[in-house]
Amino acid sequence: MSALADGPTLSADVDRQLEGLPQADLAVTVPTYNNAATVPVVVDAIRAGLEKHFAGMTTVLINADAGSSDATAERLADSGLPLVRAHHESPAAQLAAVPFHGVPGRGAALRLAVGVARRLGARALVVLEADVTSISGEWLERLARPVLEQGADLVLPLHARQRYDGTITNLVLAPLVGALYGRRLHQPLAGARALSTRVLERLAADPRWPAPGRSMTDLWIEGTAIAEGFAVHEARLGRWRVESETRTADLPTMVAQTLGGVFTVMDGYEDLWLQAAGGAPVPVEGPPAPASDEPARIDVERMVGAFGRGLRDLGTIWEHVLAPETLGDVLSLETDDVERFRFPDDLWAHVVYDFALGHHYNVVYRDHLLRSIVPLYLGRTAAFVLATRRRDAAAVEAALAAVADAFEREKPYLVDRWR
Amino acid sequence: MTRNTARDWYKDAVFYEVHVKAFMDANGDGIGDFAGLTESLDYVQELGVDCLWILPMYPSPLRDDGYDISDFYGIHPSYGTVEDFQKFLDAAHARDLRVIADLVMNHTSDQHPWFQASRSNPASLYGDYYVWNPSDRRFNDARVIFVDTEKSNWTPDPVRREYYWHRFFSHQPDLNYDNPAVRRAMLDVMRFWLDRGLDGFRCDAVPYLVEREGTSCENLPETHAILKEFRAVIDREYGGDRVLLAEANQWPEDVRHYFGDGDEFHMAFHFPLMPRLYLGLRLEDSRPITDIFTHTPPIPPACQWALFLRNHDELTLEMVTNEERAFMYYAYAHERDMKLNLGIRRRLAPLLDGDRRRVELLNCLLLTLPGSPIIYYGDEIGMGDNVYLGDRNGVRTPMQWSRDRNAGFSSAEHGQLYLPVITDPVYGYEAVNVAAQTRQPSSLLNTMRRLLATRRTSSVFGRGGIEFLRPRNSKVLAYLRRFERETLLIVANLSAAPQPVEVDLAAFAGVTPIEMLGGTVFPTIRTAPYFLSLGPHGFYWFRLERPGDGDEPFGIERTAI
Repeated sequence: MSALADGPTLSADVDRQLEGLPQADLAVTVPTYNNAATVPVVVDAIRAGLEKHFAGMTTVLINADAGSSDATAERLADSGLPLVRAHHESPAAQLAAVPFHGVPGRGAALRLAVGVARRLGARALVVLEADVTSISGEWLERLARPVLEQGADLVLPLHARQRYDGTITNLVLAPLVGALYGRRLHQPLAGARALSTRVLERLAADPRWPAPGRSMTDLWIEGTAIAEGFAVHEARLGRWRVESETRTADLPTMVAQTLGGVFTVMDGYEDLWLQAAGGAPVPVEGPPAPASDEPARIDVERMVGAFGRGLRDLGTIWEHVLAPETLGDVLSLETDDVERFRFPDDLWAHVVYDFALGHHYNVVYRDHLLRSIVPLYLGRTAAFVLATRRRDAAAVEAALAAVADAFEREKPYLVDRWR
Repeated sequence: MTRNTARDWYKDAVFYEVHVKAFMDANGDGIGDFAGLTESLDYVQELGVDCLWILPMYPSPLRDDGYDISDFYGIHPSYGTVEDFQKFLDAAHARDLRVIADLVMNHTSDQHPWFQASRSNPASLYGDYYVWNPSDRRFNDARVIFVDTEKSNWTPDPVRREYYWHRFFSHQPDLNYDNPAVRRAMLDVMRFWLDRGLDGFRCDAVPYLVEREGTSCENLPETHAILKEFRAVIDREYGGDRVLLAEANQWPEDVRHYFGDGDEFHMAFHFPLMPRLYLGLRLEDSRPITDIFTHTPPIPPACQWALFLRNHDELTLEMVTNEERAFMYYAYAHERDMKLNLGIRRRLAPLLDGDRRRVELLNCLLLTLPGSPIIYYGDEIGMGDNVYLGDRNGVRTPMQWSRDRNAGFSSAEHGQLYLPVITDPVYGYEAVNVAAQTRQPSSLLNTMRRLLATRRTSSVFGRGGIEFLRPRNSKVLAYLRRFERETLLIVANLSAAPQPVEVDLAAFAGVTPIEMLGGTVFPTIRTAPYFLSLGPHGFYWFRLERPGDGDEPFGIERTAI
């Protein structure tokens, strides 16, 4: 392991704040951007979790802020916890259109927190989201305990969600990331997580941190941890309710940001995924929490309609992106009778892989490419809803597992064409 | 296109006004007919409109282009039969098009059997069907409407030796709505057509149903009571999705009463707006347009204004001031033959000197101001007129389908046509026709199709409120349309020269405007005034999308990650 001095350089202001602080057993970081309204809820949960589960430990709260113009900083200071406050640079584009995770320059925030936690000698760094108001004190325990006591190095959250929540995650992100890294992660881009000292050491020394705004830092961390054999776990947390004024809810933007993030990691860090195979599950900690069973009001007909319009309007882009046989299969999907609409898993895996290859080879202006997958995603999502809406939770799990299987099975198709 | 099954479908609809006689002649007799109209429905559907409005189709001596009905239960023999009408109606419905028809409630032709019976036998059942008086000195406060042809509202009848009352031509005696039998008879007429599936009526000349001494005999409470009674019966018997559209050429405050509390007419024409669109364009000033909206009262939620640029009548100038009227004559009717009554008898394109940019601009306003637009047949291809044909015939010439003989309208001999086709070098059928414009991507027809298709993408156009932004440059008209969570911004340059404009959009800081016709994303709005430049008569339709404010058409958006 590298010496301390090799870690990321912290600003003079942060250095000054660290001078007066003792070493900390547990560091908790909350990246923020204009979250004054929700920060008090999060801080209360942190305090409750620390008091209940980690009473004897020295702890520190690290706030990495993207340039809030509201009272976020004051609300955090109200917590009374030892606090390190730092600002980080955010790419202008992400300030103009805040990404789906709510923090412009989240990668820079993570890097800052890693640097501070390591300087304070923390045994675990827990990352929490500033606008997730369903948080409870238990979350802190569920994330940190496996690191502190069970030898876990990276603990990712597994939120209880309604069956049709997170369709981008369930139908695209998780199967794709799982096949790439050879590990099934349920929610690779959920924002909460915990990191061990070993991982902190490893990352702090790494010169390959993604440049801010370019790549999905969370995915890079996960890929690095898996590739180097660190112990990755998942912790069951409760429901995931976001109250945010800034997170985008524009579907094409979310699809473009998440898929674009994965594709960029694929481009920049081939060593993390080209050789990986299989799809082993990771250990899951904590008792299952009941998911919300609010009835979803999903307009399947409209989704199939959007898919049909995509067939009509985006054919010229898809011709450049999709392999001829993939395009042929997509064109022959029957949309006339919505109830009978289907979108096979293998075809879906080929579609996503063709888009990854199109992005890699830059066959079409990348923003157009990423947005043009939206009707295909809507079609696949509609097919998933149609196939499961009258069935039980186990059937939904089985359907999602089948998608993951398909991505893993078809991964050679991607690898063969990548070079 | 899918059928809008909402009961208030008319709020989203675009109407297409058509003469049966003028659209397509299937039997080669020189007069358009229902069989021809049926054949042409693909064209109407592809244009992207939702509802046809059929001008009077009933048997008639045609002394007022069919507004003089001699049999409410038939189809004029030149146009076909009731069976032909039924086939047409069914074919339209099969294409998700609705159909409303003109109905003249106020009067009949003097050839109608009711009038013949009334004049020859005052003691008969029909003796009291019309308004009779021994002298012409009653209801003296009522104005004469057709001032160019009629001197009085009373005409002596040589048979009955009494005077009969008529608000329009003397061959159109007014029905006596104080007689309950007349009201029952008119309801039966309406039932006859609604039973066949007709989607509603455009009710002609509704302000004049009842007469009272010492009044103008227009807009009387008794008239409204009768109209409400009709509406209640139709709603009760036909499930509430048949529409009644009032023709009441009155100021908006007076027209407002025809909506009642949402229990009279569903729709009414906004007459005063139309001349002010032309006025605003000619003066290069948005104020005539914004002003008329400050004089437009709110209407009940289920009601809707009907907007139009031109129709089968003269461009009516009754609803402008004398000064405005003089300017309009100066600007749009430089030849004497172009004027008629208090209006201008010309079609849209020639009114605007055939200037494509102005034609598109006025259509932009028609499609984006609050209300349901009505397109007059032929104006979507920029057809011309022939002011020398007399009365309003100049704007009722055959539809120009192609450069074939008779513009592809009819296989009859030239001389057989009910009116000659337009043949002048600018607007003649060889230059202006559907076939040529269908092939030409940039044609007016294809532009209209694009505008209509874009309008169809948002229910804000038909259902949203309006808010004028009043930029300092008054040559530019800018307004917001809002409905539920969606906001549109329309900006239009009334000037023939390029114009810069700064629009105060501070309330939308952080929002990204997306131009709807091209899909172009414009710079994000800041608190500073939003700067735009517009080409001559140019316009923008923006959708204002707040980050995270997209509507959720699929139901998965909020939680998609």
